Amino acid sequence: MGTHAKLTSRLTAFVLLLFVLVGALGWRLVDFQVVRAEEIQEKSLERRSVTQTLTALRGDILDSSGQVLARTVFRYDVNAAPKNVGPVFRAEDGVVTEHSVEAIAMELAPLLGLSLEELLPRLEGDSEYANLAKAVDAATYNAIRDLRVPWIYFDQFSDRLYPNGAVAGNLIGFVGSDGTPLAGLERQFNSCLAGVDGQEKYERSAEGVRIPTSNVVTQPTQDGGNLNLTIDSNLQFFAQQVLADTVAELNADWASAIVIEVETGRILAAAEAPTVDPNDPAATDAENRGSKIMQFAFEPGSIMKSISSAMVLDSGAANEFETKMAPDRLQLDYGESIKDSFDHDDFDLSLAGVLRYSSNTGIYAFGMEVDEKERFNYLQDFGFGTTSGLNFEGESSGILRPYEDWQYADKYTHLFGQGVSVTALQMGFAYQAIANGGVRLDPILVDSCTGPGGEVLYEPDQKGYRVISEANADLNLQLMEKVVEFGGVGKTAAIEDYRVAGKTGTAQIREGDGYGDRYAISFYGVAPVENPRFVVGVTIYRPEGVSNSAKATPPFKAIMQQALKHYRVPPSTTTSRDDIPSNRFGEPGA
Amino acid sequence: MRVLMLSEQDARKLRPSVIAGLIFVLGIVLVYVVQLSLNMVLTQDAYKLSQLMAEKRQLATEVQIIQEEVDSLASPQNLADAANRLGMVANPASVLLDIRSGKVFGDPVPADPDETAVASANMVANAALGTVSEFSPSTIAASGFDISVAIVSDADSALALDSGLIPASPTR
Repeated sequence: MGTHAKLTSRLTAFVLLLFVLVGALGWRLVDFQVVRAEEIQEKSLERRSVTQTLTALRGDILDSSGQVLARTVFRYDVNAAPKNVGPVFRAEDGVVTEHSVEAIAMELAPLLGLSLEELLPRLEGDSEYANLAKAVDAATYNAIRDLRVPWIYFDQFSDRLYPNGAVAGNLIGFVGSDGTPLAGLERQFNSCLAGVDGQEKYERSAEGVRIPTSNVVTQPTQDGGNLNLTIDSNLQFFAQQVLADTVAELNADWASAIVIEVETGRILAAAEAPTVDPNDPAATDAENRGSKIMQFAFEPGSIMKSISSAMVLDSGAANEFETKMAPDRLQLDYGESIKDSFDHDDFDLSLAGVLRYSSNTGIYAFGMEVDEKERFNYLQDFGFGTTSGLNFEGESSGILRPYEDWQYADKYTHLFGQGVSVTALQMGFAYQAIANGGVRLDPILVDSCTGPGGEVLYEPDQKGYRVISEANADLNLQLMEKVVEFGGVGKTAAIEDYRVAGKTGTAQIREGDGYGDRYAISFYGVAPVENPRFVVGVTIYRPEGVSNSAKATPPFKAIMQQALKHYRVPPSTTTSRDDIPSNRFGEPGA
Repeated sequence: MRVLMLSEQDARKLRPSVIAGLIFVLGIVLVYVVQLSLNMVLTQDAYKLSQLMAEKRQLATEVQIIQEEVDSLASPQNLADAANRLGMVANPASVLLDIRSGKVFGDPVPADPDETAVASANMVANAALGTVSEFSPSTIAASGFDISVAIVSDADSALALDSGLIPASPTR
């Protein structure tokens, strides 16, 4: 074989080898880049990419002036990895010092609210997780983080803070430890308050640093909306203070007060004592964690007589001058009898007199002049027997039996507030109708829900219902004014320089088949009579050793006076009508 | 396969130019240098971003701490307690002044702790109450409650506007 041929065959072999190698590499390339490209890319991305949930913030709950009643804050669970627990080296001014586990524990213990004996055992062992404290606040978190302990780590989560504590706690409700809304407006308006969590993906380097331009928001975060209440938290606090004092003094089961702006139907305060502090619901008994104003129906007693007198006037059955004989006791055909709360001779009472003396026999005499069906319709129009438009969770409709089912006592007891049950909310708005020229408005507790950008997500749809004529509503208010002007207990509700109308109530409470010896005492009133601004309704449930409503007027007076002062309502410039008969002889004056 | 032998002259012609090679190599080096510096800037920014994000988190935490302090101090529970400690009693009697007519509604009456229906000290629970108002002992001593405070009811002595100008308020 010549040199040329040798060279040629070698070259051929080399080129062949080259082809094989290039082919193998090419095949591998195709395998990586085309055949398994997706799989490999996924694996690689999985290694360096991190998915992070972007927590949406739950919206705030604000009072009518924008004061925050509920806000979202961050809390931290403090954890340790016992496996890594060891001395901590700290560099201070260029000098590295070693701190023993015991020394670190002594720094940690007071911040965690633990004793050394409690803390040290938790730092022992081989596990990678030991919880040291749950839900510490940001200040504690900062203090612990500043200790720079490498084996301590934190889990951050959002939590609810109610800066004003139990102020309006009965309305706001609360959330569970996992953030689930459990009661009140927190639950009812959850769809408005809750946001939608977002998600982002980014890639990080081996050192854990985020690779620039690698983050992709796969789901944008939507923060929750803000709930704007009609509640005036200052007035609400004031009312709660008054009620807490009252409950303590009278050893009552509970007390409630509602303040309604007459012209708008906005609830300015709906206070209760005892009531729940949403920061710590467990500290309050379960039966006091809701809102009795909305959820608890009771037989109202004599505060209902103002409603009955309105029916009598509006149906045309009597006017303010007509009188009827009101005996101390009235024997009825079917064996039952009606008795006034105090012994007296036969009175000759006008409608105003009936209210002033709170005469059961008197309201019977006037009320029975109105047809049963008509009375039932009036009661319905005043809002009894149905829930309001608030849709508050667990709201009671009270009990108002259809007139077709009325038998014996049912036919008349509702005239003086027995045989029907109502909520404080219903009674408050029945009084609002009288104060508002006969038009009952749907109650408003939530003004709006606004999104993070200020857009309105919810607004209540308020309707008004004409219950009685304007003239009769105003007249009825003037009759109710006689209660405060001359009434035995009513007089204690008078507010200097303001014309006040209202009605006392001392309702018996059903126990078993009959009535027990404790009462629900109330005072519902309106001021100023010439231009009604507020309805205030106070109910004290089962006070000890109290058998009339004299203890309900001081809280009423305090709260009404505060509302008038707070909203700068000038004193009355007119006086009450002096031609309306209200005394026991059917004459005007005392 | 055939191997063709070229003449020396032809081979010289086909030899690549040194200058072109140099430009090519320099081009590659330049691209690498630019890429390297870009990478350095990006990496630097990544660390900067990471540091700024940590700072933002820390500042947000600071804001939350201060906000919670303000919340607690502004809560009606703290205000009621603070007012009570200073000996303040709510005065239910209000006096209003109608600016347009200059008319005064009501008579000023000093608050009487024995008469008022309101307990000034807080009675409403608040588990979120943390930071509360603090007063120096001298402030509390200076606030010693005295119900015999004289009420100035003489309207003439209240303001004297001889020049017709409203005096500047010392409050800023």
